[in-house]
Amino acid sequence: MNERDLGRALREVELPRPDRERALAVVRAAFADRERVSWPRRHVRSLALTAAAAAVVAGALSPPGLAVLGSLRDAVGREGVKRASPALVALPASGRLLVQSPSGPWVVQADGSRRLLGAYGDSAWSPNGLFVAATRPNQLVALDPHGRVRWALARPQVRFPRWAGSRTNTQIAYLTGSRLHVVAGDGTHDVDLCGDPAAARVAPAWRPGPGWTLAYTTTRGRVYVLDAGRCSLLWRSAPFSEPRLLEWSADGRRLALVTADRLVVFTGKRPAVRNLRGATSIAFAPRGHQLAVVQGGRLLVFDSDRLTAPPRRIFSGAGRFGDVAWSPDGRWLLLSWPTADQLLFIRSTGVRRLLAYSNVTEQFGGRAFPRLRGWCC
Amino acid sequence: MGTGGPERAWVRGAQGGDASSLEALFRHHWPAAYRAAYLVVHDAGAAEDIAQEAFLAAVRNLDRFDRRRPFGPWLHRIVVNRAIDWARMRALRPESGGDALAGVAAAERADAGEGLLAAIRSLPPDHRAVIVLRYLLGYTPGEIARLLDLPRGTVNSRLRRALDALGEKLEDER
Repeated sequence: MNERDLGRALREVELPRPDRERALAVVRAAFADRERVSWPRRHVRSLALTAAAAAVVAGALSPPGLAVLGSLRDAVGREGVKRASPALVALPASGRLLVQSPSGPWVVQADGSRRLLGAYGDSAWSPNGLFVAATRPNQLVALDPHGRVRWALARPQVRFPRWAGSRTNTQIAYLTGSRLHVVAGDGTHDVDLCGDPAAARVAPAWRPGPGWTLAYTTTRGRVYVLDAGRCSLLWRSAPFSEPRLLEWSADGRRLALVTADRLVVFTGKRPAVRNLRGATSIAFAPRGHQLAVVQGGRLLVFDSDRLTAPPRRIFSGAGRFGDVAWSPDGRWLLLSWPTADQLLFIRSTGVRRLLAYSNVTEQFGGRAFPRLRGWCC
Repeated sequence: MGTGGPERAWVRGAQGGDASSLEALFRHHWPAAYRAAYLVVHDAGAAEDIAQEAFLAAVRNLDRFDRRRPFGPWLHRIVVNRAIDWARMRALRPESGGDALAGVAAAERADAGEGLLAAIRSLPPDHRAVIVLRYLLGYTPGEIARLLDLPRGTVNSRLRRALDALGEKLEDER
């Protein structure tokens, strides 16, 4: 083969067909993000109002409330749990909540007292709850639980901070635009992690335990699991359509991925896949492999070791639920219910109990129903 | 390597925020970017990622791009360097993702077939890269040296050795 024939052969040899339109969509989105930096803030506000109105309409059109928690069935109506306390006065288990409202992140102590940390857009606990990582549009910030800034790092379009490590050595993974970055817990050594493919708008997830294993999803829907300490790829998955959530079990042996229509659990062998449309929040129990999942107006708990088995239906109600979190001792599930403007604490072991608190929006700044960001240690 | 007027207009339009100009650039350059990446990494998913990444890098750096210069070499430099890095990393750290992933990889290998692709796959990644830059994308050895930050003599020797190895492989298969 001469050199001219080689050139022709390289141009004509048949290759696997790429998904060009999908790549174009990602590039378009990145381009639009670049343009949106200077978008007037008034548009953001109007969008938020539209979204809030849509949520109210969705709630109004939903079927009547239905509790499936045994004797609690009659205690739940269209407007939420009937005998709810008007304010969050205490947590039923030890630990502190991190709650993200439009005003910023709030720390809720076990006695129900609350503190707004400042005007930040997203937040996450440090591993032992000593600090909070928070974001501004172009800044990553480390705060103490009183809201004092310990350090700040300027980066564009910061999202999804996730903090991991021990008392002596911690790291924060976060997205800046579509790049995955990792910075040391003292704000130094910020790096674009390994130059790996662009990240989807999904929070990265540190694997619990020793080492620096980090999972994230790429814009092509693959899960990449990296050794962030050595910048090496441990494994990657086949692509999945529209990844949304990623979470490790507490022992680091299961990795759950939620997509638009599937729940996937990676176990080190062939991943287990279950059709599940519209899951919006997941949380592994602090021990074992139970996985709590919010799907519309249902709270389900799957055994991730037997994903095809029917889940336990813990609670259901009118409209849509928000987020779910386990208490640090694994005995309670915290469920947010924007449609009813309530927080529910549901005891998951022993005698079932339900504690409900109303007027949640008003208690967290009054602008919109807040998101749960964790129930920490 | 560029398309002269239209490409400059697309770059200018994209720098001015025109999404259709960016799309025109993408559609014009995507096939060669993907093909170049694939011929270096021999993994369809990785090649898509690399080509896409190159365009994302272009979007991020669009404001700094000198539009008097052709867009293609700028993009190809990113593509080929990332592809070399990926192929080296893959060689050092084989992936382990379970049976399902092994099945996907096997299917991709079967699609790739034998012959030319197998011969190219047998080369080291940096030899694949110079072959791709020279014979697929049409750069001169001097241009390749600048794109890869290598001495020109190194490019020439890699081209020579890669061509010899390809010739032997293809001869063996006859």
